[in-house]
Amino acid sequence: MRSILTKMTFACAALFLSASLYAGTSAEDVQAEGAYVRAVPPGQPNSAAFMSLTNKGETDHVLVAAESNVSKVAELHTHSMEGGMMKMRPVEKIDLPAGETVKLQPGGLHIMLIGLTRQLSPGEDVEITLIFEDGSRASLQAPVKTVQQTMEEHHHH
Amino acid sequence: MNRWIPLTLVLMLSAVLVWMLFGWKSDTEDADPYKALQLAQPPRGGDFTLTSAAGPVSLADFRGKVVLIYFGYTWCPDICPLNLSYLRYALDGLTAQERERVQVLFISVDPERDTPQRLSRYTAYFAPDILGLTGMPEEVAKAAALYGAVYRRGEVENTAMGYAVDHSAYTYLVDTSGALQQSFDHATPPDRIIAAIRSQLTAGETP
Repeated sequence: MRSILTKMTFACAALFLSASLYAGTSAEDVQAEGAYVRAVPPGQPNSAAFMSLTNKGETDHVLVAAESNVSKVAELHTHSMEGGMMKMRPVEKIDLPAGETVKLQPGGLHIMLIGLTRQLSPGEDVEITLIFEDGSRASLQAPVKTVQQTMEEHHHH
Repeated sequence: MNRWIPLTLVLMLSAVLVWMLFGWKSDTEDADPYKALQLAQPPRGGDFTLTSAAGPVSLADFRGKVVLIYFGYTWCPDICPLNLSYLRYALDGLTAQERERVQVLFISVDPERDTPQRLSRYTAYFAPDILGLTGMPEEVAKAAALYGAVYRRGEVENTAMGYAVDHSAYTYLVDTSGALQQSFDHATPPDRIIAAIRSQLTAGETP
């Protein structure tokens, strides 16, 4: 009887401890909003996906890679201004600090879709998979939008 | 990788040549062409002849029209489409009469990948009256230098892009007499471009 009680106490303690130490995986903590893929002219080999990523957890997360179902490759890229020129470069990772929102937006960070495997039509959904440092993955649907569509949304808000 | 070297050399030599022709001053001892581009007097614009899908096109062909010139490349996934879309909205905001007196030129600084035919399909997507131009690397370099547009092949590692082209993202407004009037920053709102076009069109009517 006594040994059962002891075991149960240990079990409860262990459960409590693990719950308090528990931190969500990146895929659970990071919420993607307003995701879209830019519509591009026919025959254009590349496009880009934009979205805002909010880390709702209490630990920092890191986005390290992405995939899509419409391109051979997806890479994390950024733009910077250097010597009067717009420079586009791959980045190794995108930090997502706890409680903060990081915007992937035109002229800045984006997921570059390289080697489109088919023509993208405005309105259709593209599947983007975010891959985090902890190995967790989150898939989301991002509609294809023309620049005009994204501009009109800005005006309406 | 080795096959880029001749092209890079040609680009560098033509940049130096252009600098010697246009940017060199006797009181400037600084031999750095990149620096000279920045320090030289503001670009003055000027005529150039390049190639469209339909054949050679000169800036001089558009006297009497307001011309907007943008230097970019079609592999550019974000900056160029955004700018060309904004230019298209600017065109859409004009009356049909005004629009007839405006020409948008998209000049590719990536002639290796952007053939005139490819450019023509690309520009048509944004607006039927945007004309895509390119040429031999030295011709493009010469036109770019006239307007102060700068670009270079970016050395990018770990990318499936092949190479990126770093480029300035200004839109240059040339008046009805062929003179460079002003340049717009990347993603200048269409309203401002429309206002500038209108003021040039009116100025052109009342000499």
